[in-house]
Amino acid sequence: MEPLFFKAALAAYFAATAGYLVSLVARRVVMAKLATWVLGLAVVLHTVHFLEMYTERGFNVAVNLFEAVSFFTWIVSGAYLAFQMRTKTRVLGAIVAPFAVLLMMLASMGIEGTLAIPDALQGRLVPIHVTLSLIGEGLFALASLAGIMYCIQDRQIRRRRMSGLARYLPSLGDLDNINHAGLLWGFPLLTLGLIVGSVWARTAWGGSQWVADPKTIWSFAVWCFYAFLLHQRLAIGWKGRKIAVLSIVALAVLISAFIGVNFLSSVHKFT
Amino acid sequence: MNVILVGMNHKTAPLEIRERLAFSCGDGLRPLEELLKNPAVREALYLSTCNRVEVLARAGDMEEAITRVKSFILRHGNLDAAELEKCLYVHCGSDAVRHLFRVASSLDSMVMGEPQILGQVKEAYRDCVEQKASGIILNKLLHHAFRTAKRVRTETAIAGNAVSVSYAAVEMAKKILGSLEGRTVLLVGAGEMSELAARHLLANGAGRIIVANRTYARAVQVAEEIHGIPVGFELLEEKLQEADIVISSTGAAGYILTPAMVQGALKRRKNRLLFIIDIAVPRDVDPEVGRIDNVYLFNIDDLQGVVDENVRNRLQEAEKAEGIIGEEVLKFSEWYNTLEVVPTIVSLREKAESILRAELERSGSWLRALGEEDRKNVEILATQIINKILHDPVTGLKEESQSNGAMPYVAAIRKLFRLESEEP
Repeated sequence: MEPLFFKAALAAYFAATAGYLVSLVARRVVMAKLATWVLGLAVVLHTVHFLEMYTERGFNVAVNLFEAVSFFTWIVSGAYLAFQMRTKTRVLGAIVAPFAVLLMMLASMGIEGTLAIPDALQGRLVPIHVTLSLIGEGLFALASLAGIMYCIQDRQIRRRRMSGLARYLPSLGDLDNINHAGLLWGFPLLTLGLIVGSVWARTAWGGSQWVADPKTIWSFAVWCFYAFLLHQRLAIGWKGRKIAVLSIVALAVLISAFIGVNFLSSVHKFT
Repeated sequence: MNVILVGMNHKTAPLEIRERLAFSCGDGLRPLEELLKNPAVREALYLSTCNRVEVLARAGDMEEAITRVKSFILRHGNLDAAELEKCLYVHCGSDAVRHLFRVASSLDSMVMGEPQILGQVKEAYRDCVEQKASGIILNKLLHHAFRTAKRVRTETAIAGNAVSVSYAAVEMAKKILGSLEGRTVLLVGAGEMSELAARHLLANGAGRIIVANRTYARAVQVAEEIHGIPVGFELLEEKLQEADIVISSTGAAGYILTPAMVQGALKRRKNRLLFIIDIAVPRDVDPEVGRIDNVYLFNIDDLQGVVDENVRNRLQEAEKAEGIIGEEVLKFSEWYNTLEVVPTIVSLREKAESILRAELERSGSWLRALGEEDRKNVEILATQIINKILHDPVTGLKEESQSNGAMPYVAAIRKLFRLESEEP
């Protein structure tokens, strides 16, 4: 299958990134507005791509790593746009869009790869497990991206540098809200995704060798890390910079769990 | 271009002269009526704000009109001629257009980029239209000025950031807290600048204001003025945990807010972001407070730094704006220049059409012999021939008009085509 819409979406993500960068360099809000619309277009094209896949071979979004990455990108971008509608944080797009392009390029390396689904992944719960986990992780990633921006903005304000970049960054309050919402929504979804995954693993393999799988362990680490973050936020009342810094560390764990570990894992290995 | 602009602004005239003029031309009088009494002034616009008094006019005779407008201003300002000459500026032609565009775009304002001036120009134009003092030239010119101002506003950041300390405080608050909707402001001590900042914050959505003062009576007094809640100093620590923005301006010699106090309040408020503005000299807030996570402390110099940065930025943007204005002045001149050839073009077309109609009538007898369809075709053919023949001279005239060299051609065409009866 020629993934036409996938390529179109990649192009649109790329155009949005360029738009955001130009708007930062040339200091034109109009460009950022335009870039946001282009990003919206990218998500729409990407959605069409998924619909096409769905009609072709049923609901199974992540038969290989590359499609998982692509789906993940879609979640992050979509969630960002949803936030954008509520808060005026257009500049956050300048970090979400390049992130999306990187992931999409990674995804495009194998998007035409094998469609053979291993027998072990034919279970009915697998798509649910994959979808929930990916959405959860996508929201976590968005929370962390907001955290990165928070740290930049915090630094700019403390150094009294009000020109250039600082002028266009969203307010600390908004960034903190995005971080909060990302954690709050991401956590139950990932939790549910992991539960579904373990239930299914128990029925599929019966035994417990999957527990020792690196991916499982790393995912659990991600879950713990973000659970800790959420706990600090809600129960201890951490806000602002501390959470933002931790979010960045959490993102590193998330990415290594998401991509790196796949090459070590046996059960979760794609393709 | 027969457009003149005579006036004075904050740079050329001292306040007492401007106010005398603005006052005497105030509500009761109708300056436009008086201006238009003179035949040299064909259309006029009278703009009076606290920083400028200007008359824009389309003149019949330029020299005459300038003298008339000057004497009009002289009479109303009760000024002697020598004093007047020092204050007034006179712009003619495209310079007048440029000046108007600069005024409307707020490049000529005391605080560059302030938005009120455009509204004031619009107001002046409304008066002008109501009193039927505007004609084709001023209508076009003013609409062009509004369009230019809009372009400057959207394409440059000239009105982008705060250029006063109290407004810079609001801007920083937004930068840190995001929306100010429902936020609590705590005023510690009282002072003109802190009250002004508080008012700005209220206007931008802040929910409530708490006023703390060492003397409770003074707190009540200030709170009344800005619809705040007065509290005594003993409640300061408690109120610190409710506030999102603290503005401190007491006359105290030592620090009012210490790191321990702020840290304690922060813990109780679950680390919600806190923006502290210290505009007191000597300072009220221990600088160490600024090192605490989630607390952002700005003193008067910091805010002034923000303002200076913004002013520098506006000056940069002003250069861009001048470029835009240059383009727009050129566009207007082009339109204006074609005006002198337009009547000739119109009469040329009319003459051609009347010839066509007369000829069709004369040939009516044999045309009737043709079918409906053919008759139409003959008419179309004749019209097309006329249009083709006229096309080159008409575009030629328009082109020549841009280099101000059209008059000989206009004269030649009028003579050769015998268009002489109408006005030139």
